[in-house]
Amino acid sequence: MIGLEIRNLWKKMGPNQALSGVGFRVSPGHLCGLIGPEGAGKTTLLRVLAGLLKPNEGEVSYLLNGEIRSFESIRADIAYMPERQSLYPDLSVAEHMDFFKELYQVDESTYLTRRKELLHITRLTEFEDRPAGKLSGGMYKKLGLMCALLRSPKLLLLDEPTNGVDPISRREFWDLLYRLVHQGITVLVSTAYMDEAERCGQVQLLQDGKLLAEGEPREILLAESVDSFDAFYLKKGAEV
Amino acid sequence: MNLKRVLSIAQKEVYHIVRDPFTLAMALGLPLILVTIFGLAIEFNMKEIGISVYDGDKSVASRSLLRAFSSSDYFHLNHTDRLPEAISILDHEQSKAALLIEPGFEKNLGSEKTAQAQILIDGADNSTVGVILGYLSGVQNQFGRNVGQTLSGSTAPFRTRYLFNPELNSRWFTVPGLIVIVVAILSILLTALTIAREWENGSMELLLSTPVRPIEIVIGKLLPYSLLGVGSVVFVYGLARVAFGVPFVGSHWFYGLSVLLFISAYLAQGLLISVVTRNQQLSMQLALISGLLPSVLLSGFVFPIENMPRFFHYLTSIFPAKWFMIISRSLFLKGSEPHELIKPFVALVVLNVVLMGVATKLFKKDVEP
Repeated sequence: MIGLEIRNLWKKMGPNQALSGVGFRVSPGHLCGLIGPEGAGKTTLLRVLAGLLKPNEGEVSYLLNGEIRSFESIRADIAYMPERQSLYPDLSVAEHMDFFKELYQVDESTYLTRRKELLHITRLTEFEDRPAGKLSGGMYKKLGLMCALLRSPKLLLLDEPTNGVDPISRREFWDLLYRLVHQGITVLVSTAYMDEAERCGQVQLLQDGKLLAEGEPREILLAESVDSFDAFYLKKGAEV
Repeated sequence: MNLKRVLSIAQKEVYHIVRDPFTLAMALGLPLILVTIFGLAIEFNMKEIGISVYDGDKSVASRSLLRAFSSSDYFHLNHTDRLPEAISILDHEQSKAALLIEPGFEKNLGSEKTAQAQILIDGADNSTVGVILGYLSGVQNQFGRNVGQTLSGSTAPFRTRYLFNPELNSRWFTVPGLIVIVVAILSILLTALTIAREWENGSMELLLSTPVRPIEIVIGKLLPYSLLGVGSVVFVYGLARVAFGVPFVGSHWFYGLSVLLFISAYLAQGLLISVVTRNQQLSMQLALISGLLPSVLLSGFVFPIENMPRFFHYLTSIFPAKWFMIISRSLFLKGSEPHELIKPFVALVVLNVVLMGVATKLFKKDVEP
């Protein structure tokens, strides 16, 4: 199982200071939520963790079964799903899976069982031949997740996977994430929906590139004496 | 580098090509349209050029001169009885030139004096002037031979023979050059679009987060387009040989090698553009300006580079099109030996190395802006 130690990350994106000294730990096998409004630095942080951006300062340690490993050596165990649409609108669900199977070099028999299993739990079996451009928002996100899961990652980085998805599909999506955590996958998921924060075992609350609070959702709410994360951010906004 | 990953990217790219009507139309339709336009519609050879004639001499010699004109297919004579009439036809653009033979033409021809006939050419139409002038010398020679038999003395001293393209058939000249234009459009434009599309689409972010390496993405994406390029060259080559009867007298393997070099230089240029812009619209504009325009205007396709100011001799050298144009025409018509084409060949190799190097260097492995 993979854990993360993130220390003092600073990252400037153009004129914006996207991350200002963010640091926290992600325990192996946990579902960790990155919560924050638009522009809090969630996407930048996940991109740094996925190796797509280099921080100006600070570092990330990837711990595989407690041992520090270089990013390159565990790159194949990390799956990342970007926030913005990133699939090919003209390729069908099946073609996407075939394509990513080759990229991840999953062997044929593992692929076939995994593919069947994934299509089953995402309930996309009957949409196998539908192009990604014609899928609904929820199905599209599920397809993205399936592509990421094809290689059996140990660390899953999901950037706002439920953004723009209807409430029922969102609930399904979360159930899916719980199943993954149950299988020992460490999941780091970002969201701007405050109600989803309470679904995570552990949350990091971000605003303007800074970490406002972290820990178990219930404890944070209790400590701040607010009854929801909406109220938490309103309160923090008032303090500034 | 992993071959299976390269191939899966290539296969995905084939899906994109086949399913996108724009790309498909470009790839299949464009070579055909271009060959049709340049091969059939644009005719640098002119036939039946209207020429108004005033024969004031009406002698054996003057008739012999007129026969020299009319016996070639190039001129269509329009006889008039009065000199102003011949000129007025020219003025009203009903003919491209006027031939005026003064009375006493034959007499002067026989005597020591120089015999003169006057030709007035419509200089407003610049493109035809050169062609008419070219044909005139042929007519002059013909006349020289005609009168040489009947009248002694003044015969034309030159007999011109055109090598490699004896009839100065402009299609023989144009169609081999067309390959350059077709490759320019297919290779630069389509490649410039393909990687820019991946950035615009957001899929580059996903690709870069997978274990796939940038070189695999690049080769995988370029593979189908290089095949398209080769296919279009074969297509134009076939049309040139079969439909237009253009001869090919050079070495085929050397030509094939040069085609591959030329295509890869243009693919690299397209790649470079899309790597820098990451935007389809900008890529398209840059591809047209840096790829298509020089290929048409500065490659020697239409305008000979030799006639350009010195600055352009150097400028055109950075365009692969100039070098491939030399190779293409030499091999089609002249049958030059490879060692005679070593300079353009080496130039293509150098441009390839430079373009590929810069494009690979600038290809980012991350999403930093």
